[in-house]
Amino acid sequence: MRGGWLHWTVAALAAAFLAAPSLVVLGASFTAGNIVAFPPEGFSLRWYGQVLSSTALRGAFLRSLEVAAVCTAVAIPAGTLAAVALARWRFRRATAIQLYLLLPFTVPLIGSGIGLMLLFGELRLLGAVWPVGLAACVINLPFMIWAVAASVNGLDPELERAAANCGAGPAQTFLLVTLPAVAPGVVAGALLMFILALNEFLVSLLLVDARTVTLPVHVYNSIRAVITPDLAAVSSIFVLAAAAAIWALDRLVGLDIFLKAK
Amino acid sequence: MTDPDARPQSGSGLGPATGPETSPETGPARGGGPAYPLSWRLLDAIEGLAALWPARASGAVKWALLAPALALVALLLWGLGVMADASLREMDFRTYRLSEDWSLANYARALGSGAFWATARRSLLAAAVVTIICLALAFPYAYAMTRTRSARLRKLLLVGLFLPFFIGQVVRAYGWLIVLGQEGLANEALGALGLGPWRMLFQYPTVLFGLVQYMLPFAVLMLAPALAAIPEEVERAAESCGASWPRALLHVVIPMALPGLIAAALVVATLTLTDFATPAILGGGTNDFLANLVYDQFFRTSDAGLGSAITLLLTLAGTTVAGVLLAAAGVAALGVRGAR
Repeated sequence: MRGGWLHWTVAALAAAFLAAPSLVVLGASFTAGNIVAFPPEGFSLRWYGQVLSSTALRGAFLRSLEVAAVCTAVAIPAGTLAAVALARWRFRRATAIQLYLLLPFTVPLIGSGIGLMLLFGELRLLGAVWPVGLAACVINLPFMIWAVAASVNGLDPELERAAANCGAGPAQTFLLVTLPAVAPGVVAGALLMFILALNEFLVSLLLVDARTVTLPVHVYNSIRAVITPDLAAVSSIFVLAAAAAIWALDRLVGLDIFLKAK
Repeated sequence: MTDPDARPQSGSGLGPATGPETSPETGPARGGGPAYPLSWRLLDAIEGLAALWPARASGAVKWALLAPALALVALLLWGLGVMADASLREMDFRTYRLSEDWSLANYARALGSGAFWATARRSLLAAAVVTIICLALAFPYAYAMTRTRSARLRKLLLVGLFLPFFIGQVVRAYGWLIVLGQEGLANEALGALGLGPWRMLFQYPTVLFGLVQYMLPFAVLMLAPALAAIPEEVERAAESCGASWPRALLHVVIPMALPGLIAAALVVATLTLTDFATPAILGGGTNDFLANLVYDQFFRTSDAGLGSAITLLLTLAGTTVAGVLLAAAGVAALGVRGAR
């Protein structure tokens, strides 16, 4: 293989470094002891049982699911339509529009979070769960547009013209040719939005109050107090969700897509 | 990626020919009979509705499609506007209300305070150090990922990249708390060597350590497409001309990958500069970054004016760096940035 041994050693170390916290959290969640430890003392599922019986954790988890669902539900139409429009129509200020749509990435999260917190405060939306989902959608929207745009770019415009040629109107062409063809991109984007909203921390922290904490905020608040193994069990839920999302992404679009040059 | 022959033949779409530009005579017989299924009628109805859209406004269709996304981002801008407004009003601590009239007092207070500059220095130093270490680790990782001939190894490296990316910052910092604690694995290993125990948590180097782990996937994802775009033949050509592998790397690969390296550096630097969770969890309150300072202004001292002013300064700094990146890489960067 090309490259010196040093190079490959560094790469292997970096890989181990990346995996370490996830593995530690997974391992620690199975401890039989009363304090969190890695390697775990013995093996038990008691902390998972603890998680299932805790109403606070269950509530936080359900709210996180709600946040992720709202975020995805808003992102799918908004992102898909925008990506199709950008790829299929000529805009006079296309560059300016793209720069504008990239603002959620160029504005730091703390800026977006504080801004939305002040705005939602003025609109009296703080204290509900769905605005957190809406905020998560805003800050991650470029991911959705990007995922769908990749699919639209791969769709031959001739197919749409062929449909029109066979007598399909514009709405039919869009619903029966364009949408199904970009569906993998839409699903991949939706998956990204869902998992990122499930994990979303900083903006949630700014937008929730004591009654509406989401799961990452709950974990954050708890580790500042006492570190108990039930948190490791909760964290394992995130690890599992991430693993499932990666598996699905790989099946849908293939992870190799991230290695492709533009 | 898209399967071109997956859908169009699947058919019913090509059946009912009632587009506004098609004359009714050329279509199949309309109106009734079991030969005309419900789904076709539904489509006809949608098509009819679409035809109601005035032809003069056909140029507006694209804007209508774009509108929801534009509106969502507008929320962000609106929020920044509210914040800018708040940053110009001073907090009156007798009534806990922001003043009626505008002044630059909050900015003067922020820029005149030692705490602000100490925190800014800490954040900037972290951004520099974390960026350098991240690039040093990301380059071999991305290189291995794009150059390996084993599809399985490539997939493993990709999964290793995405797993932490999808797990979130809090859980990862929690993992480090377990390892680096007074009784954690790291101190046990040190103890076995006859060293320690060391107090590792809540120290500045530990915050940097956690940040490097958090930023590494971003750096690799920015770098990998740039490396993948360099044909391996170029490297082999350099080597057949007598360059050793390190020389080929230094004189051929790294210069060609420079745009990717710069993009990765800028992304890691901005994300580090504005990070909140890692300094909050691994720093234990004594290693605050600017974002933590902002949080304290809002949630400890309840000074929305000063907090807004600092946030705006930080946002300006971060957005400028990101803007430089976009200007340098062109907007085609949407794809590359999206892979972040």
